[in-house]
Amino acid sequence: MKLIQLNTIVLLLFVSFTSFAQSEKYQLAMGKGLQLLQSAKSPDEFAAAANHFERIARAENTQWMPSYYASYCNLIAGITGKKENMDPLLDKALDQIAKADSLSAGNSEIYTVRGYIEFMKMSIDPMNRMSFMKSAAASLDKAIALNPENPRPYLVKGQNIFYTPAAFGGGKEAAKPLLEKAATKFSTFKPDSSMAPNWGKERNNELLAQCK
Amino acid sequence: MKHYLLATLILFTAFRGFSQAIISGTIKNQKGQPIKQANIILKNTYDGATSDSTGKFLFSTEEKGAFILLYSATGYQDDSVKLQLDGKAVNLSVLMRKKVNELDAVTITAGTFETGDKKRGTILSSLDVATTAGSNADIISALQTLPGAQTSFTESGLFVRGGSAAETKTFFDGMLIKNPFNTQVPDQASRGRFSPFLFKGTSFSAGGYSALYGQALSSALLLESKDLPEKTTTGLSLLSVGAGVDQNIRFKNSALTTGGFYYNLKPAFSVIKQDRDWDKEPEQYGATLQYKLKTSDTGMFKWYSDFSRTSLGLNVTDTENPQETDYFSNTNKNTYINTSYQDYLAKSWKIQAGLAFSNTSDDGLQKEDRYNRTDRVFQGRLVATHYLSSLSNIKFGAESFAFKRAEEMNQLSRQYKDQLTAAFSEAEIFITPNLATRVGLRSEYSSWLDEYNIAPRASVGYRTGSFSQVSLAYGKFYQNPEDDYLIMQPLDFEKADHYILNYQYSNSDYTFRAEAYYKDYSRLTRDFDGQLSNTGNGYARGAELFWRDRKSIRNADYWISYSFLDTRRIFGTYPSRAVPPFAAKHTLNVVYKQFFEKLNSQISSTYTFATGRTYVNPANPVYLGDKTGNFNNLSLNVSYLTHILKQFTVVYLSATNVPGFNNVYGYHYSRDGQFRQAIQPAAQRDFFIGLLMTIGDNTFVR
Repeated sequence: MKLIQLNTIVLLLFVSFTSFAQSEKYQLAMGKGLQLLQSAKSPDEFAAAANHFERIARAENTQWMPSYYASYCNLIAGITGKKENMDPLLDKALDQIAKADSLSAGNSEIYTVRGYIEFMKMSIDPMNRMSFMKSAAASLDKAIALNPENPRPYLVKGQNIFYTPAAFGGGKEAAKPLLEKAATKFSTFKPDSSMAPNWGKERNNELLAQCK
Repeated sequence: MKHYLLATLILFTAFRGFSQAIISGTIKNQKGQPIKQANIILKNTYDGATSDSTGKFLFSTEEKGAFILLYSATGYQDDSVKLQLDGKAVNLSVLMRKKVNELDAVTITAGTFETGDKKRGTILSSLDVATTAGSNADIISALQTLPGAQTSFTESGLFVRGGSAAETKTFFDGMLIKNPFNTQVPDQASRGRFSPFLFKGTSFSAGGYSALYGQALSSALLLESKDLPEKTTTGLSLLSVGAGVDQNIRFKNSALTTGGFYYNLKPAFSVIKQDRDWDKEPEQYGATLQYKLKTSDTGMFKWYSDFSRTSLGLNVTDTENPQETDYFSNTNKNTYINTSYQDYLAKSWKIQAGLAFSNTSDDGLQKEDRYNRTDRVFQGRLVATHYLSSLSNIKFGAESFAFKRAEEMNQLSRQYKDQLTAAFSEAEIFITPNLATRVGLRSEYSSWLDEYNIAPRASVGYRTGSFSQVSLAYGKFYQNPEDDYLIMQPLDFEKADHYILNYQYSNSDYTFRAEAYYKDYSRLTRDFDGQLSNTGNGYARGAELFWRDRKSIRNADYWISYSFLDTRRIFGTYPSRAVPPFAAKHTLNVVYKQFFEKLNSQISSTYTFATGRTYVNPANPVYLGDKTGNFNNLSLNVSYLTHILKQFTVVYLSATNVPGFNNVYGYHYSRDGQFRQAIQPAAQRDFFIGLLMTIGDNTFVR
């Protein structure tokens, strides 16, 4: 009797463990993805991280973060990779950030990445892609309005201005106040969870250093 | 006891299937090249892998049962395979097919120059139009730097491949613009009415254009208006000839734009001496109102309306009595309303509907005679597109125009009305992504002519390489004779047949085009011996080259276009076949733009060369047998980008004919041939200064 009881307990424990496992599995997979992202250096490694997040995103139709990170990784893969691969990677990133947006409306982080992608799309062919300049600015302004305490939209905005020729309202001088604002926001920013977006602090410091 | 417990666990885990299966394989494309960074996904699980640089992938899964393995890679079509997982290793050899999208597929380019901001393969953007030296932000002038178009300084309009200005029609979101130009002053071309900043794309067809459009023997100019502005902004323009203001108000799903302008050429003419005896220098004012509403994710409603009034008066030398002058004055009032709506009905159907109205009235004095002329057009248009696949589609449509022209001269009046109705259909079929055909048919009936026509059009495009393609086009084109004839009596449609062969090489840095064509004109209107008839005819043949390079010189962009044109025709008042004045044999344009980062300035220059134009000399028995000298022009444009009161501002200065070439466009002879007067520009050199400012945005938003 005792044995059966014990066996039942073990079995129940195991069953409950496996049913709970769906969310743990998600946590694990996301954790692995974040590790891939953190250790990625080459464009190929960023693309592999993007693929990893994309797989999670395809299986999870209620979570915004897999699509968000897939988009972010593709964006970085696009920026760091060969110029001819940039456009298709950015297009993919735009699709993925749109999916993230459909799962989490009015999310400051999502608008930040969208604004980043749009600016990079513009940079490929500035003369013919002026419209992306406008949509990038609109996305970032929205990201700030949605969460004024989020440091990333200030960083991306500052970065966009940093790389815009002075004639078009850009340059280091113009970028500096935004990057400084981002720095103060970074010093107090606490992500909602271990998985939530928490990138950009180092990049912000690098850019700020160049402004001095 | 321990053993039993363990046994239970083992049994259970075995049942759950903890044993791992290895899935591996290689991914290649149709050419056998490995595809790297493909995503291999075991559907509905997190399991999968990314292929390496040799196309190899490997992963393990604990899953069992029937699964779908998906592969996806940028530039390739997603594909999948069914897998039965039972713990055994699986090795796959995967072949992925290239994805075909609009950008990769062949586009039929015979006769057509696409310009715009979005599509690839566009030749000029709106900003290019605005910054082309010599064009002063006039769309028509900028297009004259493309092959096929003649440089014209004495008459408004686009003269394409030996065709008269009346043979080019302009369309605004699919709707005909009857009067796209400001009032014509004797012997002087006038500007187009529309700002290049209104449009996101322009398609300039020098021939062989789509069956969706008609009533143009030579050329169709399609202007596609912009969608919603991103932000609420105010635009200010201060020019040496006047000023304008416009206000964009952006709502969530709609936008309202209002604007007004006032131009007066008197101050400019007092500085730049004019070889014209102005009594009243041109003065123009106007207003625009636009409303755009996003009706759904894919639906858009647009309202555009404008009104303008222009008045001027001058004395023109009387060729018969050189000591005398003739007075000419004109007041033009122009109203134009264009509304359009488009949306997708279901997934594979798109509908586009439009209604347009225009009313243009001119009145004034010609010598002692008071004249008055009114042109009115109503147009309704409906086009349905059915998408057969991602590339192929078929379009059906119909449109109807109610034209009215009324004239009055010293209280004598006459008028005519025409109801022109057209039905058309066009299928764009991709046999393979590299081979496209476009077959269209258009039929029109004119109530005034009481005639109908049937115009078949066909073109084919074949992609010969990643960036190169060959296109062929053929078509029949009809148009009504000009109003000046039709108001006297109904005639028959004029007709032209086009045959075009085109080669294009284009990537993001370079564009090269070569095109050859033959045009056969028939039933052109003749006004000879006091009789109107459709007995005119003619031909035009030629070859054109275009080269644009955005890469070789840093921060520079240049294009070169060359047109060779051989044409003869008998029409209008011509007694015999002759080369018309609007057909220079050789035309060359070189446009060069350089951006100077340190100076925040762009300098743009345009050099135009054209061989002489024919003119009528009564002493020469051959009609139009004399030719002027060659035409040369060098225009410069400097745009300085800056911020005034933190608002983005462009200051620009443009000058035409900087070296001061002495250009003669032709001569007016007296009937006895004893006196002639050269047709020349009003000023040898022309200058223009402008300041454009955008308030409410620190980027360039116009």
